[in-house]
Amino acid sequence: MQQQSPRPADALAVRGLTRTYGTGPNAVRALDAIDLAFAEGSFTAVMGPSGSGKSTFLNCAAGVEQPTSGDVVVAGQDISGWSEARRTAFRRRHVGIVFQGFHLVPYLTAAQNVGLPLRLEGRRPDRQHVARLLARVGLADRAGHLPGELSGGQQQRVAVARALVAVPAVLLADEPTGALDTSSARDVLRLLRSSVDELGQTVVMVTHDPVAAAYADSVVFLVDGRVAGWMSRPTAEAVAGQLARLDDLAGAAVAS
Amino acid sequence: MTGLALRSVRHRLASFTATFLSALLGTVLIGSFATLVETANGPVSVADRETLVVMGAVVGGWGGLIVLFSVASTLAVAVRQRAAEIALLRAVGTTPRQARRLLRSEALVVTAAGAAVGALVALGTGRALLALLRSGGLVDASVRYAGGPPSLAASAAGVVLVSLAAASVTGRRSTSGPATTALRDAASNRSRLRWWRVVLGLVPVGYGVALGVVTVTVTADSTDQYAAMATSGSSSILVGVGLATLSPVLLRWSALLVRPALQGLGATGHLAAHNLTRRSHTLSAALAPVVVFTAGTIGTLMLVGIDARTLAVPVADGDTITLLNTVVTGMIALFAAIMVVNTFAAALAARRGELARLRLLGATPRQARTAVLVEAAVVAAVGVVVGGAASLATVVPFAVARDEGVVPDGQLWLPPLLAAAAVALTLGSAAAAARRVTSTGIRAGLAA
Repeated sequence: MQQQSPRPADALAVRGLTRTYGTGPNAVRALDAIDLAFAEGSFTAVMGPSGSGKSTFLNCAAGVEQPTSGDVVVAGQDISGWSEARRTAFRRRHVGIVFQGFHLVPYLTAAQNVGLPLRLEGRRPDRQHVARLLARVGLADRAGHLPGELSGGQQQRVAVARALVAVPAVLLADEPTGALDTSSARDVLRLLRSSVDELGQTVVMVTHDPVAAAYADSVVFLVDGRVAGWMSRPTAEAVAGQLARLDDLAGAAVAS
Repeated sequence: MTGLALRSVRHRLASFTATFLSALLGTVLIGSFATLVETANGPVSVADRETLVVMGAVVGGWGGLIVLFSVASTLAVAVRQRAAEIALLRAVGTTPRQARRLLRSEALVVTAAGAAVGALVALGTGRALLALLRSGGLVDASVRYAGGPPSLAASAAGVVLVSLAAASVTGRRSTSGPATTALRDAASNRSRLRWWRVVLGLVPVGYGVALGVVTVTVTADSTDQYAAMATSGSSSILVGVGLATLSPVLLRWSALLVRPALQGLGATGHLAAHNLTRRSHTLSAALAPVVVFTAGTIGTLMLVGIDARTLAVPVADGDTITLLNTVVTGMIALFAAIMVVNTFAAALAARRGELARLRLLGATPRQARTAVLVEAAVVAAVGVVVGGAASLATVVPFAVARDEGVVPDGQLWLPPLLAAAAVALTLGSAAAAARRVTSTGIRAGLAA
């Protein structure tokens, strides 16, 4: 975790990232010139109260949203000024995304969902590569099942395998445990942790759950679209305490 | 429940527009012809009365069948797409009975409004229809328009009743089973056809084929030149409607057949192939009108052509009969076209979220659109083949009866032309709907 200009070893870096919604007096500044860098092989949690800009940050990093100003550098490439089509092509090759709502394609089996990003790129997924990923997430025996036949936790694990299939520069997770029960959530968090430890994957996870954040190497706190601090080797208790203070901070900002 | 239904309708105006429009147009068509029957009960000559009743009852009846089929299927699509929402309502404590009542109330609100407006329009179009008949000399110039509340109210009530029945049937399907499975299964369905639907499909097919056999063996030798037409004329529509009822199965089987070829088209073919086989129910709603369109137009227009070529002696009723046939064909074509457009618009509006998801995963808007177009192409191809086969139920028996043999002597360019029109209609509707859905930003799509 450094707050300086990106070096080649950063899987993801943003500089002066600003995103404004609306214009004129009603404009909302969701992100206000934030600088962040995420080293290769790191696992970072991004936390903050509702409306702090967590999701906007993730959408900009994924290339889903165009920043109002500032740079987004993924795997050494500044994608901020690119066209939608170019960002899309880049995203499927270099960015893996895990969503709160799983977002599996309902009419494709687990194995087909995992292979989809490669197919969209025009490549035929290697059967064994897909099988290995499904085995890694503990679903080797569910390869032929449709999402409707899987539990929420199983669906999210398929989604993690899908996010890993293209060996992305960075895996972005948006509240990945938000829709899961405690034990399924733990499975998914362990998966993310092991992909960092065993595959050297870079993971950036937006969450509001201190327990989830404790799986990360470090935590970045956002408040009102700005970086409000960070914490390394987080524990659930320390994160929860910090969040409580941030809530007061955000409350004070609203009141002023 | 009615309050909830009203708010639900307001919240989802766009998707209810399809249902509203088909109820409106359905009432206009049925109502216009119904006024002819009412007019026939006024002070008119016996000959005029017969013409008016035949026109009103026969054409109105056939058109009515197609219209009702279309309203029912549009409504079914609208209901099915809300499976997830119904599941949610049930999860928060709505009983299956309450959920069905909600669906019926919504259907009542929307179709009653559509039918009411339709009845008002029919007041004018009925008058215009009669004027057309008068100026064509089909009825005496002294015949006065007497259409009014009875015929129009009956037409509107018929449309509303059928819509309610359709909403009940589809509602029963989407509320059966426990609420939790409903939530999970909302996205995909591999449900098979219910037995009554298979019967509903096979009966008209059997009846249509039987009429064809009767045409060749019995009425072909009749002294009345129109006896053969009376038995074979409606066969193509009957068989077409029957096969359209079975369209989920037909689509799934056909998609399984062409799946290897689609896989060769890359990611978009891969997506289309699996969507077609695993969610054939949604897309089959678009297949049904393509089948009816192809069967009805080819069957009836070829019939008119054979009739014109082989009629030995011009008959007094000839003009009326040709006009009737043309009007029937026009109505079928118009309604099938509206249904195809409706279905794609409704089906894709419901898939907005899914297509946005594909784009999040790295599909370009173009890939998302192409996948939809490939699906539409398969629907069009299957529809044209099945509809073409259904049209044979009229064409072959009538050609045999009029001594042209199994293959008619002329107008063989007509089927390919109409098939091309059906394909163009299907692809055009899908392309327009897909463009509308994928033109918004990804985030807007996900929020929808």
